[in-house]
Amino acid sequence: MSKELYFTKTHEWVRFIDETTARVGITEFAQGELGDLVFINLPEKGDEVIAGESFADVESVKAVSNVYSPVSGTVRAVNENLLDQPELVNMDAMEAWFIEVENISEKGELLTEEEYMKLIEE
Amino acid sequence: MTVRRLRYCITNETYPYRNLALEEYLLHNVAEDECILYLWQNEKTVVIGRNQNPWKECKVKELNEDGGRLVRRLSGGGAVYHDLGNLNFTFVLTKENYNVDRQLDVIIRAVNGLGIEAERSGRNDITVCGRKFSGNAFYSEGIKCYHHGTILVDADMSNLSKYLNVSKTKLVSKGVDSVRTRVANLKEYRPDLTINMLKEELLKAFGETYGHVPVRIMEEDLPQDALKAGEKKFSSWEWIYGRKIEFSDNLERRFDWGDIELQLVVEGGIIRDCRAYSDSLDIDIFGLLPKYLSGCRFTPEDMEKALRRIETEIGNARIIEDIIRLINEEV
Repeated sequence: MSKELYFTKTHEWVRFIDETTARVGITEFAQGELGDLVFINLPEKGDEVIAGESFADVESVKAVSNVYSPVSGTVRAVNENLLDQPELVNMDAMEAWFIEVENISEKGELLTEEEYMKLIEE
Repeated sequence: MTVRRLRYCITNETYPYRNLALEEYLLHNVAEDECILYLWQNEKTVVIGRNQNPWKECKVKELNEDGGRLVRRLSGGGAVYHDLGNLNFTFVLTKENYNVDRQLDVIIRAVNGLGIEAERSGRNDITVCGRKFSGNAFYSEGIKCYHHGTILVDADMSNLSKYLNVSKTKLVSKGVDSVRTRVANLKEYRPDLTINMLKEELLKAFGETYGHVPVRIMEEDLPQDALKAGEKKFSSWEWIYGRKIEFSDNLERRFDWGDIELQLVVEGGIIRDCRAYSDSLDIDIFGLLPKYLSGCRFTPEDMEKALRRIETEIGNARIIEDIIRLINEEV
């Protein structure tokens, strides 16, 4: 798997495109726990996100949950497709990115894939 | 950590924004080893789910005119109607102890204890004889979460259908739609039932289900400034109407001077795009409508103000009055 891919304890993934740019989404595990998504609230292009703080929320048939940013930076793009088709996250969580962040100034506590797999096995 | 202690909070406030603020306060302050049961009631209120469009789910204008209030909750799901014939409950706890089955058991045990056969239906409902009397919704924030729901005891069903029955076929919105269900008041199945009896039975069932004695949280011991801040958030226009849920609405009507079609795109409660079509010969006004309505809040009051400005600019009071009437009746 890619070296640039990391995870958080709160079940988000972050895939670095370069040192200061990355895409962020929620993990396959998170998707499974949530069940069918019915709506996703995303920030807007240009918004600031802060590592460890909520930047989006997802509504599933089970609950509304916050999504936390793995990094601090500026939103360069949002995946507008998710607004009309939240089910894309259920279909392939690792492909269905939420936002692309640029000017990353800080990273939160990031786990490698191995560390993350261990966490969800517990 | 398992549930080692129980607390409960019963408020006599009926102001919905205050009650939601208290609920959020309990969420932020729940300890890892406890479960809190919060019982509360709202005076004439429509509560929409976190990602719902107020105009699509609720007759906003009628509700406001009747002195009712519109509230957006933190949790997801559909729109519900509250009044003093309805009792709300909230289980506040941490994720580790969160168990929808056990929480619903408390409700079912209490209702059964009152001599009414209740059963779970679907994922989120509790029914009596196939009719829903309790709807449930869920919210989580980090490791803390809540499960809340309604219990219809003696709610005004004509108001319920009056405010929730929206037939705006022209309004196309993103977000979450409500599902219509056959509902029932518990009082139909036990005529002497009161809200107080239900509260007592719920507390009893709460203690029995978890095996501890619940201790009361006194409202006056809670920090009033935090509750005030929450109340302000929940009652703000930005939270209730201004949420980023895009939708479009079409207002059409035929008048003696011609017909009009107003196509509006609304984002965050603000009209982002407006197109006006008419077969009227009076074309100036239809050119000005998009200019004046764009950027305006999607409320009859603000839209009327914008139209009054057109009237000041070019006159044409008769057509303007008709359009204002259309907006007041349709928005």
